[in-house]
Amino acid sequence: MNRRTPWWVELLVHAALLLAVVFALYPVLWVLTLALSPSGTPSPHAIPWPESVSLDNFRAVALQHDAAGRWLFGRQLFNSVFVAVATAVTSVALATPAAYAIARMRFAGDRTGMRVLLATQMFPGVATAVPLYVILDTLKLLDTRAGLVLVYATTALPFAMFQLRGAFEAIPRELEEAAMVDGATRWQAFIKVVLPAARPAIAVTALFAFMSAWNEFILAATFLSHEEAFTLPVALQRYVGEHDADWGRFAAGAIVVSVPVMAVFYAVQRHLVGGLTAGSVKG
Amino acid sequence: MTGRLCRALGLALFLAAPSVSAQHLTLWHAYRGAEQTALDQVLDAWRRAHPTATLDVLAVPFEAYASKLESAIPHDHGPDVFLDAHERLASYRALGLVTPVARAAEPTFSAVAARFDDTAVRALTAAGDLYAFPLSVKCVALFYNPALWTDPAPPATLESIEALRPRLGSETYPLVYESQGAYFHAPLLHAYGGAMLDDAGRYTFVGPAAERSLQRVIAMTRGNIIPDEASGALVAQLFATGHAATAISGPWLAADLGSSVSFRVAPLPALADADGRRMEPYATVEGAFVSSHTRDAAAAIALAESLTEVPAAVVRARVGRQVVATRDAWTADPELARDPVLSVFREAAAHARPMPTHPHMRAVFEPARQAILKALRGDRSPRVALEEGLHRFTDVTRPLPRRRDATLALLLLGMFALGVVLNALRGLRDPVFRRDLRRSLPAYAWVTHAAVTLLLLVVVPLVIGAVTSLYATREGHSYYVGLANYLDILTARGGPLLATGSFYRVLLVTVLWTVANITLHVSIGVALALLLSRPLLRLKALYRVLLIIPWAVPSYVTALAWRGMFHRQFGAVNALLTALGGEPVSWFARFSTAFAANVTTNVWLGFPFMMVVTIGALAGIPKDLYEAAAVDGATAWQQFWKVTVPMLRPAMGPSVAMGAVWTFNQFNVVFLVSGGEPDGETDILVSEAYRWAFTRQAQYGYASAYAVLIFLILLLVTRRRSPEAIP
Amino acid sequence: MAAVTLRGIRKTLGANLILRGIDLALTDGEFAVLVGPSGCGKSTLLRTVAGLEEPDAGSILLGDRDVTRAPPRDRDIAMVFQSYALYPHLTVRDNLAFGLKLRRVDPKEIAARVSEVARMLTIEALLDRFPREMSGGQRQRVAMGRAVVRRPQLFLFDEPLSNLDAALRAQVRVEIKRLHASLGATMLYVTHDQVEAMTLADRLVVLRAGAIEQEGPPLEVYQRPASRFVAGFLGSPAMNFFTGAVDATARFADAKGLRVPIDPARFDALPPGHPVVIGVRPHDVIPDPDGAIDLHVEVVEPMGFEAYAHGTVGDVPFVARLEGGAALPRPGERLPLRVQAAAVHLFDPTTERSLDAGRS
Repeated sequence: MNRRTPWWVELLVHAALLLAVVFALYPVLWVLTLALSPSGTPSPHAIPWPESVSLDNFRAVALQHDAAGRWLFGRQLFNSVFVAVATAVTSVALATPAAYAIARMRFAGDRTGMRVLLATQMFPGVATAVPLYVILDTLKLLDTRAGLVLVYATTALPFAMFQLRGAFEAIPRELEEAAMVDGATRWQAFIKVVLPAARPAIAVTALFAFMSAWNEFILAATFLSHEEAFTLPVALQRYVGEHDADWGRFAAGAIVVSVPVMAVFYAVQRHLVGGLTAGSVKG
Repeated sequence: MTGRLCRALGLALFLAAPSVSAQHLTLWHAYRGAEQTALDQVLDAWRRAHPTATLDVLAVPFEAYASKLESAIPHDHGPDVFLDAHERLASYRALGLVTPVARAAEPTFSAVAARFDDTAVRALTAAGDLYAFPLSVKCVALFYNPALWTDPAPPATLESIEALRPRLGSETYPLVYESQGAYFHAPLLHAYGGAMLDDAGRYTFVGPAAERSLQRVIAMTRGNIIPDEASGALVAQLFATGHAATAISGPWLAADLGSSVSFRVAPLPALADADGRRMEPYATVEGAFVSSHTRDAAAAIALAESLTEVPAAVVRARVGRQVVATRDAWTADPELARDPVLSVFREAAAHARPMPTHPHMRAVFEPARQAILKALRGDRSPRVALEEGLHRFTDVTRPLPRRRDATLALLLLGMFALGVVLNALRGLRDPVFRRDLRRSLPAYAWVTHAAVTLLLLVVVPLVIGAVTSLYATREGHSYYVGLANYLDILTARGGPLLATGSFYRVLLVTVLWTVANITLHVSIGVALALLLSRPLLRLKALYRVLLIIPWAVPSYVTALAWRGMFHRQFGAVNALLTALGGEPVSWFARFSTAFAANVTTNVWLGFPFMMVVTIGALAGIPKDLYEAAAVDGATAWQQFWKVTVPMLRPAMGPSVAMGAVWTFNQFNVVFLVSGGEPDGETDILVSEAYRWAFTRQAQYGYASAYAVLIFLILLLVTRRRSPEAIP
Repeated sequence: MAAVTLRGIRKTLGANLILRGIDLALTDGEFAVLVGPSGCGKSTLLRTVAGLEEPDAGSILLGDRDVTRAPPRDRDIAMVFQSYALYPHLTVRDNLAFGLKLRRVDPKEIAARVSEVARMLTIEALLDRFPREMSGGQRQRVAMGRAVVRRPQLFLFDEPLSNLDAALRAQVRVEIKRLHASLGATMLYVTHDQVEAMTLADRLVVLRAGAIEQEGPPLEVYQRPASRFVAGFLGSPAMNFFTGAVDATARFADAKGLRVPIDPARFDALPPGHPVVIGVRPHDVIPDPDGAIDLHVEVVEPMGFEAYAHGTVGDVPFVARLEGGAALPRPGERLPLRVQAAAVHLFDPTTERSLDAGRS
């Protein structure tokens, strides 16, 4: 079956892939150029290459201090990392047992529950931001990292549960049964056997939760009222306001925000194919 | 197990305990740049003078400022003192957000008022009481570059500026200003005797004066007197680099220019063709307001007032380049009175027209901006563009539906709840159900924590959101109106069914948007996955990593970057077009190109997901199927359609359905790339809902009705198409 | 080691009755094989004994302890799964030690038992490998090792050989038998393969549609099947069946194309003309020019030491086993066959039970 393909077919394949890569990288390079250009205004060139390189924009973004002399960027970076990691941990911790139960146990209300879960994905967030604000306020969690984590984690929960349910269904039932016969309780079998077997899918699910929290800014801007409580995206948004757009700083900030996600993404990407399809192949 | 989880959660909450306690003064502002620096200096001085007090300062992005104040103050999360413009006063008063800083009845009132310029005090006074200490007066003036305007006297008329055209190079403009903005257009309109809004809150940007003002701008654009669609950043850049002889802008431009270019300032010129009347700008008075929810009103008032004391005012004037409203500051520091910029602005402000304070003023800017844009682009004649603007304004400010009695709804709700309870009770008596329930108990231990959090933070907000759709809300007031919001939406608010902004038109755009995106996502994703799944392909891993990159970039970064790339003058896309010998395109001027820009961005954002899903699905197709097909004589093309496609379909179905739902509600791209341009034509349902909630006088009820309709549409479509497709 | 007693085990899944009241008693150290076609409920029965399924009614006793409602971990049993179910993230060593660690056995003791079992099953070289790095046969041995190392009261096997190729299967079969001999443990083994069933079992339990069709020592079940179903299920190639009747002398049974003698010791009460289903195993026929079975040969399969002749008798398909060395018939030929009375089985056409007076 694996006959050698003619050279021109090979060439066409590479040409097509290269075209796609150019399409994929062009905006990234454009932002990079902007961030490295000292002028900070977009230059009307087709080829994204800085005329002169300067790290001023990065310096301006990274060394930002507030009036009281606190290192704002550091705090905001910490907030972002904390919120994103806590969101990933919380949503995975909440989703795994529930998704396991849905995958393995039959119980009254399981189908209805899944339908409701699915339905929540269709309701646009616009209409829930204000009620969420009121709820967080009641829980005294407004303007806190914990409140933000809670909201992000629950928002990420339905998708995490779909993902993980598919992954758990793909794990042979016999594995847990063997563990239970070997002397494990259901919970032990879950912790010691099912979870390790589902590691790739859990990594991918955690990545998505991490990304959704790392990238979110509308709710963060609504719920947070203190500059040192801001996450990076909220801070970033300020660079391109209606009245004065500082594209250079925005681009530098964008790169600072994107690089960690891309790094995590790169680390998890070999699981991506398997982790995603375990959830979606199951009909 | 739940115990362990609870402990973990408790720990998380403990670690993230409220980062700031509330026992001190908080001040909010929307300043940037030099003004922020000046304010920080003033506040530092205040802190030194009040060592026992703590003061928290938050710089809120201007775009979010008002809505944040409106939501935070009633919930006691707002500031004690906030700096804002006088034109918000009426609506803040209506919402009960502010408290007077000096009452007319108080004996000291006249002494307080006498400290400030008259216009400033008038603008911040309502019902006799002073609601904020006036900080500064802002209006625009004419900046001119003495190297290009060589006459020692400042330009006296607009016509004299226009006359510069032949003497300047084609790269240099006689005048720059944000021509499409209603705020910057107002001086021209006023010169022709028009107004944006009358005292009763009626939209008056129609009629002969408005048309004349528009024709004047069109003529200046066509004559290359002013650049097309200049943003604030472009104005600053062109003037700073000597590519504009004059610019209309505010004191902030002076602060930003610094010493990069030599400039002088003059009041706005007169219009010879308007009988020599001066261009009359809007004046905005900024004041330090005190929140009605402050815990310590006296301290808050003292803090607000301290910002206007002479030393503070001098700092704000010298460092922040503000035209301060404190009279004595101008005499206390002789340099201020001599300052060639500030003194001119102070003079200009004295002759400016205070911005109307009617709450409807907030609804003027967007329709007016759209009208100017349409006329400038030549899509509509000035008359039609202006009438459409009026229509849009009426649409947004239309009278709310009348209040309805909620008894019937409550009765129905009660009966429904009773039915549910009775049904549940009957079910509990059923032995089969009881057995099922008993068997379910162990499983509930695994799902309860997730179910409870979901219920609390997903389902409850959703239900509240849905219930809100039965209320009319605007600017913080709300009352029950039954289904009137839906009726309004589904009848296209009485206009033609397919008019711009009507539900059906937006729905059509949304469907088109979803179909176009999903088609491209899937076909590009599948094509790339097929190429990447070739067994002998070299550099496969590298290609894959590079092609996944768009997925890893935060979507708002993507959206804003693409918006920049589609910029008419600086965008890379137009640069590419020009390099290939094409004409630059004004991407957001027309539905087709703006829509294409949105779709391009979203395709860039979404194809890696489909690609990865397809790679996974392709790996699941047994090789021998292809071998069997090959033995049966199928060509590669036939193999694709007869083997690959049918095998991919079940594997990808759920992902495609999920992708379609997400695309249907893809807010970021539409909102950030085209922003609905031109004139809301590229808005999809969800961004339209957002506009009603956050940019059209906080009509949450109306926005919620949109959200519920979106929800119902998606539910209906996904149910019909694939009952169990998504899990 | 313990005796196992099942009393009236019933189980429904949804609307389907899977087990219709199973009574079974295994003595201590017995090797019992549950056999039957797929869907007969044998796996469900095994899983019920393991505690992975809860019966709707009935009780399960291990020794004299009622474990009907006990979770698997409290039953002190070990199970070998069809898919082996090795923990993919653990090495062989950790797979073997898993159950012992859960029971908090002393680590030194665990190490000793793991190496002992590894020696016994000759998997010492594999101890540090992961399951994905081993062949099917190796995994199978590890799966058995994981059961053995626990020293349980009862071993359960759920079709443990069905994923192996034929040669390996025969080899492991012998090994299981040896294991049983050396451990002396009670074992319950599920298979659909009648060769495994015959070779391994002390006691063969044939299940059909959720009920026990026949149980007993394997040879007895083979030689004196209680029903047409059991007769047809055991033996390969399968028994040949004919619908016929007892002849006028009551000493023969006739069907179209054949006439077989009736063993009076087993079928003495059958009156002439009694309708019967005649069963003759392929192995029990002998070529004989005077034979009363008239085989019309269509296909001959020479296997070396033996050969199978496929064809029809009357118009019913028939298989006969022939000596491999003899001159084989050619397709199209007629081959008369003889059968001894002792090898003739008679079944009631309606109940399909054996008409053997000594049975049923």
